[in-house]
Amino acid sequence: MTENAKLDIRDLRKSFGAVNATQGASLVVRPGELHALIGPNGAGKTTLLSQISGEILPDSGSIALDGRDITRMPAHHRPATGLARSFQISQVYPEFTVEDNVAMAVQAHTPGGFNLWRNARRDMRLREPARQALRRVGLGHRLDERVANLAHGEKRQLELAMALCMDASLLLLDEPMAGLGAEESLRMADLLRELKGQYAILLVEHDMDIVFSLADRVTVLVYGKTLFTGTPDEVRAHPEVRAAYLGEESPSVAGQPQDGCAPSGGSKPAGRSVGGNQ
Amino acid sequence: MLMLLEQVLNGLQYSALLFLLSAGLTLVFGIMNVINLTHGSFYMVGAFCAAAAAAKTGSFLAAILAALVGAGLYGLVVELLVIRHLYRREHLDQVLATLGLALFTNALVTVLFGRSPPMMSTPAILAGSVQVLPGLAYPVMRLALIGAGVLVAVGLWWLISRTRVGMLVRAGADDGEMVDALGIDIQRLFTLVFALGAVLCGFAGVMAAPLLAVEIGMGERILITTFVVIVVGGVGSVRGALVGSLLIGMTDALGRAFIPSLTSMMLPPQLSDPLSSSLVSASIYILMAIVLLFKPRGLVPARH
Amino acid sequence: MSRKLLVNAIGLLLFALVPAIAAATGKSFLVSLCTQFAIYALAAVSLDLIMGYGAMVSFGHAAFFALGGYTVGIIGFHMGQGDTILGWAGSSSALVVWPLAVAVSALAGLAIGFLSLRTTGVQFIMITLAFGQMLYFILVGLVIYGGDDGLPIDARNTLPDINLGSPTTFYYTCLALMALWIGLCRRIVHSPFGMALRGIKQNVRRSVGLGYAPLRYRLTAFAISAAGAGLAGALWANYALFVSPDMASWQKSGELMAMVILGGLGSIFGPVAGVAVYLGLEQAATAFTEHWMLILGPVLVLVVLFGKRGIYGWLTGSKHHD
Repeated sequence: MTENAKLDIRDLRKSFGAVNATQGASLVVRPGELHALIGPNGAGKTTLLSQISGEILPDSGSIALDGRDITRMPAHHRPATGLARSFQISQVYPEFTVEDNVAMAVQAHTPGGFNLWRNARRDMRLREPARQALRRVGLGHRLDERVANLAHGEKRQLELAMALCMDASLLLLDEPMAGLGAEESLRMADLLRELKGQYAILLVEHDMDIVFSLADRVTVLVYGKTLFTGTPDEVRAHPEVRAAYLGEESPSVAGQPQDGCAPSGGSKPAGRSVGGNQ
Repeated sequence: MLMLLEQVLNGLQYSALLFLLSAGLTLVFGIMNVINLTHGSFYMVGAFCAAAAAAKTGSFLAAILAALVGAGLYGLVVELLVIRHLYRREHLDQVLATLGLALFTNALVTVLFGRSPPMMSTPAILAGSVQVLPGLAYPVMRLALIGAGVLVAVGLWWLISRTRVGMLVRAGADDGEMVDALGIDIQRLFTLVFALGAVLCGFAGVMAAPLLAVEIGMGERILITTFVVIVVGGVGSVRGALVGSLLIGMTDALGRAFIPSLTSMMLPPQLSDPLSSSLVSASIYILMAIVLLFKPRGLVPARH
Repeated sequence: MSRKLLVNAIGLLLFALVPAIAAATGKSFLVSLCTQFAIYALAAVSLDLIMGYGAMVSFGHAAFFALGGYTVGIIGFHMGQGDTILGWAGSSSALVVWPLAVAVSALAGLAIGFLSLRTTGVQFIMITLAFGQMLYFILVGLVIYGGDDGLPIDARNTLPDINLGSPTTFYYTCLALMALWIGLCRRIVHSPFGMALRGIKQNVRRSVGLGYAPLRYRLTAFAISAAGAGLAGALWANYALFVSPDMASWQKSGELMAMVILGGLGSIFGPVAGVAVYLGLEQAATAFTEHWMLILGPVLVLVVLFGKRGIYGWLTGSKHHD
């Protein structure tokens, strides 16, 4: 099953002093699948993503992309292997325009990026792909806006546009819907559905409706350990998962107020979470 | 052997002076996250006030009082007018603003005290030398400086770990917003810490005045060394200031004593003389560069 | 953009007319003052490249200024002695010596930058200060080159068909080099390299996430900045016909930083205005009192506290830079 895996994580472990953030996480993302990663607050989802993208180095375990071991690869080398990441709190260039931001993503993998003479803003090889990606995510009308002036939801869209311009084959998306209104969420969900098949996607999300409607497979992370991986239906039916995370009530729990406390029997998961530790 | 001991004592004396200066500086930087180049100016103001008071009254006690009050008051004014606007600014802004203040202070002191630097002679009770060991007489004033350093170290330890104010200081270093949310006036805390730092500088100034030249620019010279101390020791921790002061003070003193003879053993005089003088002056910077390359946050950084 | 262009054009015109103005009013020191201005502007613009665009606060940049100056001084010294320098007879041609000064500074910039850029924040400020101080003390210790007393230089370097000995000609040369260097820095700032550098300044996490290696960009910018400071140093050595360890002092580094911020951080022309203000203030204040820091100190504080855009930003009405 793992021969043609896009992303293969085996028994990853990471501790920060006394805090055991990741205690044995294993999962496989297949090419073209949308794989959701869910778990209660504090489960270690963002920490896991950070180890995949290289911002944090694990204590033990392995991470392989297309069969290639990237466990200890420096973070800035990973995009070249096909990895693109969006962040829980939008990481953008506030002083640059919307188009500048995405052009930076294009430039990173375009030859001649270390040029000191050309005018970058007039280079069509950088600007044209940026404009296309921005139109695709719905920001085509905001190309020249300074990013510091963007609304929260627009910044999420911008991040996705940047990820699309990165010549990637695996997208790591950390709560791309967080803070989006209903209409924006729908549009984002449609976009993700389009991207399925084109990219392998590892999606961290709290909105269960989205997760269960989009995901091909779901992995549940609790206390830094991968509890179970299966199709959305299998996850919904799994007794341990229900106990640990979904609670004993109905599986459709979108819109429930966020609890924010550690998981225990009967606690309801967050409908939307804006920030918060994972 | 005795020569070595004398050099060690010299090193300790310099370390004591550096500690008096660096303790305040590391607290200000660690708790308020402000790089303060005016710190050297408080030291200079203290020394000048002390020398002037000693000249007028002949009393060492008056000199101490003048130094503490002069430096402390000036520190308070500086905090009220300028420093409190710098808390949220970038380090570059802080460097430049406090640099401007330091240059201004130099000019101000020149105008107030005149161009000819005041001399301060060693007070009578601290004059002369004492037999530290048979065959080694060491000036009392220098021993007093070492003693002052130890006293302040103990006092600061007691203040920070045993008093409510000290607890607030530690809490403020860890999480200023939280302290604020608890209803404690963080601004008042900062002003207190800053003033304390200034007073310590004033104390350093009066203790150093009989030993070193009291002149414009004395602050800047030792300020750079003080920054080296806190960067080597670890910013934000008084323990780091202690470690850094000892390390830098001893390196400087022992280097001064032994590098020239070492180089002259290995090289002909026309090469060894300039080399040794450069090495001696540069020794602490080379040490800092080495420490930073292996431990970028210093040897004993505060938990942050 | 056009208001900016207007301000720049007027500025350049004014500076081109200085010798004529000086001759007309009999104030020959104006040419000398403006030569200083051009040289410092070159250095300040170089520093702004890393401070304003790269967010690297180098408190030891005067070291490169001194290296450029001492390259000129040392070559002149050995030629005067009839010596050779490592087998080379030396040269008095500016076309040889000045690029050499630039190369020396750039190499030093690469070395110092490589070591310093392992740190960030206040540690970076301190380690660059340390390297500056190290060079200062090395220069003081080099008694053969004058040590603390400094090294006098017999004559300016030569250019074919151009008499650098004439103050006016030398002034125009410095002005031209300054303008060229500013033009070059402007291109760099708008290039893909420059955008990447500015991106790293705004959000290093995002840049790494896109695949940029921050060290490459920062180090290259640092070396270029060092090269510019070195050129300024070489020009200064020719201007003053004297170099001394003070050129590497932390006070000199502080002066350069003050000039940059007075003009406005992160705009290529800003430092030029900053240098003008700094030198102008010095002239005006020393006319009143020898304690001109009584005035400049508070001015600096006020600019930092209230005038983040600097003089240039205020003149052109721009809220943010290029």
